[in-house]
Amino acid sequence: MKRGRLQTRIARHIAFAVVVSLVLSALVLVVFRHRSVQRNMEQSARTYASLVSKPLAGLTGYLGSSGRGILDQQVAALRELNQDVTRLEIVDVRGDIVLRSESGTVNVYGNGVDPPTITDGKILRAITRLDSTAVRVTEPDGTHVYRVVAPVVQQWGGHMYSLVGTFSYERVDRQFRSSLWLSALIIVVGLGLTHWVSVTLAGGIMQGVERLRKGAQRLSEGKLDERVFVSSRDEIEELAEVFNAMADELQNTIRRLREANRELETLDQTKADMVANVSHELKTPLTALRGYLELMSDGGLGTIPGEAQRAVMVCRKNVQRLSLRVEELVQLSHLERFTSLDAAREEIALRSLLEGIVETFRPRVEARGIDLTLRLNQALPLLESNGEQIERVFLNILDNAVKFTPAGGTILIIAEPYEHEGRDGVLVRVRDSGVGIPREALVRIFDRFHQVDPSSRRRYGGMGLGLSLVRNIVEAHRGAVWAESEEGVGATFVVWLPIIEKTRREPIAGQPSVRLDSDGADRHGVEEA
Amino acid sequence: MARVFVVDDEPDMVDLLATILKADGFEVDTDTDGRSALARLLAEPPDLVLLDLMMPDLDGMELLKLLRLDPKGSLVPVLVVSARTGHQDQLGTLQLGANAYICKPFSPRELVRQVRQLLAAPQGETSE
Repeated sequence: MKRGRLQTRIARHIAFAVVVSLVLSALVLVVFRHRSVQRNMEQSARTYASLVSKPLAGLTGYLGSSGRGILDQQVAALRELNQDVTRLEIVDVRGDIVLRSESGTVNVYGNGVDPPTITDGKILRAITRLDSTAVRVTEPDGTHVYRVVAPVVQQWGGHMYSLVGTFSYERVDRQFRSSLWLSALIIVVGLGLTHWVSVTLAGGIMQGVERLRKGAQRLSEGKLDERVFVSSRDEIEELAEVFNAMADELQNTIRRLREANRELETLDQTKADMVANVSHELKTPLTALRGYLELMSDGGLGTIPGEAQRAVMVCRKNVQRLSLRVEELVQLSHLERFTSLDAAREEIALRSLLEGIVETFRPRVEARGIDLTLRLNQALPLLESNGEQIERVFLNILDNAVKFTPAGGTILIIAEPYEHEGRDGVLVRVRDSGVGIPREALVRIFDRFHQVDPSSRRRYGGMGLGLSLVRNIVEAHRGAVWAESEEGVGATFVVWLPIIEKTRREPIAGQPSVRLDSDGADRHGVEEA
Repeated sequence: MARVFVVDDEPDMVDLLATILKADGFEVDTDTDGRSALARLLAEPPDLVLLDLMMPDLDGMELLKLLRLDPKGSLVPVLVVSARTGHQDQLGTLQLGANAYICKPFSPRELVRQVRQLLAAPQGETSE
């Protein structure tokens, strides 16, 4: 019903205006016409009365019975002269009726016992004074008539009579009624005509609007080369021009954006290629160094004197460190491209991933007498994420924990299902008994190149990229990572990762998920996990 | 004695790989050029190929593709040695027919372990 509503409205307005003016003018015309016809009729009645009064009065000479035939003939002839006359009376000056002609019969009252008399006061007054007058009278039966009094004064005096003519408005009213009917008919015909004209007119106006609507719709459907042409020389044409200008602008902007986007994509590809090349260039020499150093220290290239052996070990350690840093840089440059989860995703069983990581760290922690424990909830769901990146997250956090935990310390990893901000996910906490992190540094440690103590770079190695990488990856997975610490007592790194799309459990039948306070304060409550 | 063929454009890398493998008792052939390596591989297929990915002219990927197209080279186990650590790269080479993938910089022990594992596996079967 959306379509045509405006057209109907315009048509209705036009039709309303036309109908109102039509009805008004018809009424005015009919009423004025009626009045003038009525006045004409009265005028001719008065003229008729004054003209007829004399000959009619003269007929009183034929009052004898012998002259009746002539009298009747004459009266009938006189009556023919006016269509509206219903009654003619000749009245003497006292008001007594001498002759009355009514509906085809003529009555004569002469020397009668009691002739009918005029009773109407005004008429009677005019008669007695021999004045002429004309009044509109309502008869006892309710009809309106026009009564004219015309005096007949004979030159020689003697008989003094007045003519009282009664005229009917019936003809005038009939005309009025018929013109009313005619007007009504004209109005009805006009109404139909108006409807047609107004719909056509409104359609003409709507044509431009309809084109604009269609154009806008196609534009919104992405047909950017859509333009609207209206030549109505009015606001709609202006609107069409504005629409076209807007479409031009939109098309240009989108073209520019597409071009810019293509350039960015090219740049991005170039950058990715460059990173790949750089990493190749760095890694190949590192591989040669690492390989030969390991062969040397393993005695594969013959025995080396004790002093040189120590030097080889130092070289090995530093090559190892350099390799890690190169790997970090490559990872970080990759990550900058991920604003969302567009990395390859797969189903990850966090259980085996964490177990694998703990195994790789096992030799390192055992060498330093650190107790590394992994506590997994039985009901860990599968995650759908980039396995390599998630592995990197826990590698870096654990690397950090091992680095800052003194010999003989403890590291505890707890993983369990956890609901965070209304979304299902998994919470992994890595708690160490190391030096801890100052309160003011808890947030900044995730910033790139940040280190709690500048001297720690020398002591512990690393460029401060590890945790920044962790944050990048976790945020790309729409997860959350934060640290809790009490200085001197140790630090806890908390990673929360959402379950994306499917919610499935690992094959082992699960316990209900453990709900924690968001600050993870009840860490004692999950020891059995 | 198993014969391993090393293809890498870096002479130092070829040298290192050869040293490690020889120390472990393998017979080693080497080539630093993709095209001549392919010709030699097809002429006399070895027991295993160590293949670098990034090489000028004919790179590792292309070589692998051509090798797998030839009936003589279709069953030779190939261990890819590359600096590319991306998941997609690894998946890509495995789809092209590589049997395993090792990332630079690797430890000699890891390399030897992978080589032994591939040689122990039945021909034509993909090792993880």
